Amino acid sequence: MASPAHKPRRRRKIEEGSLAHITHGTVDIQHSDVRKPAFPLVAFLWPAKGTVSQWVTIPLVLMVVGLFRWTTGLWGYSGFQSPPMHGDFEAQRHWMEITKHLPVSQWYFYDLDWWGLDYPPLTAYHSWLLGTIGSAINPQWFALYQSRAIDDPSLKIYMRATVFFSEYLIYVPAIIVCLRRYSRAEKVNVWEASIALVAVLMQPANMLIDHGHFQYNTVMLGFAVASISSMLAGRPLWSCVFFVGALGFKQMALFYAPAVFAYLLGICIFPKINVVRFLAIALVTLASFVVLYLPFIAGVVYDTYDGVSQKSFPTPPLLTYLRVSLDENAWYYPVVLQVAQSVHRIFPFSRGLFEDKVANIWCSIHTFHKLHQYPSTLLQRAALGATSLAIAPPCLIIFLKPRKELVPLALATTSWAFFLCSYQVHEKNVLLPLLPMTLLLSGKGGLLPSIRAWVGLANMIGVWTMFPLLKRDELRVPYFTLSLLWAYLLGLPPVSFSAYQEGTSGGLNLVTKILHLNIYLAMVGWHVVEAFIATPEGKPDLWVVANAVIGCGGFGLCYLWCLWTLLWKSELFGKSPVARKNKTQ
Amino acid sequence: MTELYPSIFQCAIVATALKVLLFPAYKSTDFEVHRNWLALTHSLPVEKWYYENTSEWTLDYPPFFAYFEWLMSQAAAFFEPALLNVQSLGYASWQTIYFQRTTVIITELVLAYALHRYVKDSKQKATAHAAALSVLLSPGLLIIDHIHFQYNGFMYGILVLSLVLARNNSTLLLSGILFAVLLCFKHIYLYLAPAYFVYLLRAYCLGDQRSFPYFRVRFFNCVKLGVGIVSVFAAAFGPFALWGQLEQVFRRLFPFSRGLCHAYWAPNVWALYSFSDRVLIYAAPYLGLKVDPEAVNSVTRGLVGDTSFAVLPEVVPLTCFLLTLGFQIPFLVRLLLNPRWETFIGAITLCGYASFLFGWHVHEKAILLVIIPFSLIALRDRRYFSAFKPLAVSGHVSLFPLLFTAAEFPVKTVYTILWLVAFLLAFDRLAPASPHPRVFLFDRFSFFYIALSIPLIAYCSLVHGIVFGDRYEFLPLMFTSSYSAVGVVGSWLGFSFVYMDL
Repeated sequence: MASPAHKPRRRRKIEEGSLAHITHGTVDIQHSDVRKPAFPLVAFLWPAKGTVSQWVTIPLVLMVVGLFRWTTGLWGYSGFQSPPMHGDFEAQRHWMEITKHLPVSQWYFYDLDWWGLDYPPLTAYHSWLLGTIGSAINPQWFALYQSRAIDDPSLKIYMRATVFFSEYLIYVPAIIVCLRRYSRAEKVNVWEASIALVAVLMQPANMLIDHGHFQYNTVMLGFAVASISSMLAGRPLWSCVFFVGALGFKQMALFYAPAVFAYLLGICIFPKINVVRFLAIALVTLASFVVLYLPFIAGVVYDTYDGVSQKSFPTPPLLTYLRVSLDENAWYYPVVLQVAQSVHRIFPFSRGLFEDKVANIWCSIHTFHKLHQYPSTLLQRAALGATSLAIAPPCLIIFLKPRKELVPLALATTSWAFFLCSYQVHEKNVLLPLLPMTLLLSGKGGLLPSIRAWVGLANMIGVWTMFPLLKRDELRVPYFTLSLLWAYLLGLPPVSFSAYQEGTSGGLNLVTKILHLNIYLAMVGWHVVEAFIATPEGKPDLWVVANAVIGCGGFGLCYLWCLWTLLWKSELFGKSPVARKNKTQ
Repeated sequence: MTELYPSIFQCAIVATALKVLLFPAYKSTDFEVHRNWLALTHSLPVEKWYYENTSEWTLDYPPFFAYFEWLMSQAAAFFEPALLNVQSLGYASWQTIYFQRTTVIITELVLAYALHRYVKDSKQKATAHAAALSVLLSPGLLIIDHIHFQYNGFMYGILVLSLVLARNNSTLLLSGILFAVLLCFKHIYLYLAPAYFVYLLRAYCLGDQRSFPYFRVRFFNCVKLGVGIVSVFAAAFGPFALWGQLEQVFRRLFPFSRGLCHAYWAPNVWALYSFSDRVLIYAAPYLGLKVDPEAVNSVTRGLVGDTSFAVLPEVVPLTCFLLTLGFQIPFLVRLLLNPRWETFIGAITLCGYASFLFGWHVHEKAILLVIIPFSLIALRDRRYFSAFKPLAVSGHVSLFPLLFTAAEFPVKTVYTILWLVAFLLAFDRLAPASPHPRVFLFDRFSFFYIALSIPLIAYCSLVHGIVFGDRYEFLPLMFTSSYSAVGVVGSWLGFSFVYMDL
């Protein structure tokens, strides 16, 4: 009975005001006496403000976002019971099947017509690993040829789990480290960075494509983020390694390549020329590619040694095109043949300018002025020219001012340019520009309405342009749930107008507000029309095309905003008037 | 201290998003039960409701719940008329799933409202708010209602509202009537009725008096309460009494033919009893006890079936009933002497405990009967919180066997762990120090107990399947319920002590 009453633990004293700030966009200024979170996501992290350790906050955040991911996975996936070709789910499963069972030298030659492997080697290794583990659990799932188009419910769980684990092993740690470094570089406090972390991890487009539609984009994006993170940490060599990893997993990481290249070149030249660094970067990149291909080459060499003939394979068009004639009996023949074939598979130059209806300029122009009438080489050149023109300004800026705070913006601008202007774009590729743009939330003033509204708009349009795709996969309910949830958490239309209210600190100007609200109105209106009004006779794709055209306009605005912000933040033309004013205050 | 964020409303929205995403998740036969009830209330005259037996899932809830199903079936007629056919057994189209799952989410708003009232009426806003969120986001409700499928959110909403109304003398009558309504929705709440009876008697029907017998009867209040309760029951059972169907209705409501332990053992005293019996089978030869050879294989036989004991004596319903009542009475006496709201909630909790621990054929879902009332007072001070901790862990872990499909495994475990970490940490910061000195080392017990749950979950969900495959499938169930039973009994003992020591 004598034991003393419980003594509450002493808590670290933290100046409360230093965390939640009107000028940081986390607190509303409408009520000067009562501090009110500016948007619901801030409210959810309100209890974590101050004394709660990151070792508590981050695991809890990861559990919450994990639940949303896994429950999204309970819904349909692309190509479920839809012959003849099924969809991306079958493609990924099929790659596991062939990499598990076929000798390495057949990986890039095997049956293109049924989802032939057309991703770089890292995807192949990843598939092989998952196929091997999966076959150990249930060999039926990946039985060669027998398992095509299989739709066993337990296979679905296994496949969903592989996406989940791949993401949590690569993307999630990369995002956590990257946001920490970025927010530190921008002098943003830890609590606000964790708000941004939730916003990034809850991006509806990512969750719907990877865990709903079924793909492994987050692995590639994770490597890309790790690369950004290494740049922010001032480790350019590691950034090369990770970037090669991203490219080696999915060639679409090329969207980022010009900006990455420009930045890495920039830090070798400015402020003073550093030849050693340049050589080191070049060497490490080359070495990374070699390491990337090494297991594949080793496999091919082993096959040759093992007596698997390489001579019956057709010569890849790449070799024919380059007019390389090889001696079929030379020792190096199998290796060159295989690498050339993989490159040929990965970059199919023979496909059209655009597939399906994508919200980029080509599809938009095509709506009003048919592009089929021009020869495809002309179109390809036009695409190349337009893309070069659009990526030149951001690349030039990041090259001349290679400051690490600018990296996310430069990547976002460049990848928007690629998405809008380049050749062979998929609607899913919008994930690439969205990622670096969403990272801006953890930058300085990232939670202010000015940035939050733009990042939010880009994400909302991004997921909205994928609606036709998601609708095919029977993912309408998760689409509405996750995108509206994200809009709610970040206080965005159509759920809330908190970013557009008068008198908020760091608000938007009137023109921007009108523009944004009209785009939101168009999106909501489109959903109403699409749901209740049948397309006119003879134009079954009208709503889809309208979606792509509106989306293209919105993405164009996002590109311009990113470019403008990059230019303004780079102080290329001296200090901007706003920055100067702040300094004099 | 007005910074109560996130608010109940905000949490409800995010939780709703998760619940919508859970639409395609596993659903138990209860889904079909409720579909069948929708169909039969919609298509049959009221006289036949309690006689209909096309489906094996006959209507066995009191009449208000049947009226409630009838009401929902009116909406269902617009949404998916096909589900309203009594003959179409097992009908589960997407529209049906959307409809039924949505009704669960919408009716749960009653709980959100009740919790809002609870916070509004509390003096300690911060702790009340945390407790309210913990109930709203309870993994128990998520697992039972939104995956397994039932309407507990709605039912507990009414209960919490009634408990909150009991706080003010002006709404005490309403509280009593609301509880009567609740009883006519679902009769499992009869377990809590003794506490209501004592509290209403003492606080509403009797007034204080200085001299012997220290109370006076408030006659007018008695009449009001009596008329109120009688009219509620008349509205529910009156029509059936008129048609002379009461006997049939009660036969449906109280099926005494079921066994002592439910298919999966609820983590109560009888689970420990069964566990001891299993152990004694091996120890009996050394102790010179007699083993009933027929009973040896009974638990291993399968999931459903009566448990019979090999060494220990059999248990009959009367034993359960007497034990339950016996363990309620001391706490009710205390309530009689000290009719404060906190004591009342404590008594409700302890009535729930007693009936859960000693009741006949208790279902593991009934643990909410303890957890939810307890949550309302768990943050009074640290001693309450210490008793609450093992209950929070064991109560929720014991619900795990309800979901046995692989796809839902991550949902139930991650959500429960998330809830436990978030709320136990929050409670730990918020619970004020106790004015009374601590008496026993309950914290140590809690700590080891909670730590033990990790290897247990790992064994039951993973290791057992790998080592034994499909054999001995009773073993993980037995471990889970024995483990949980230790937690529930421990927390019961702890809380009884705190309650009596008020």
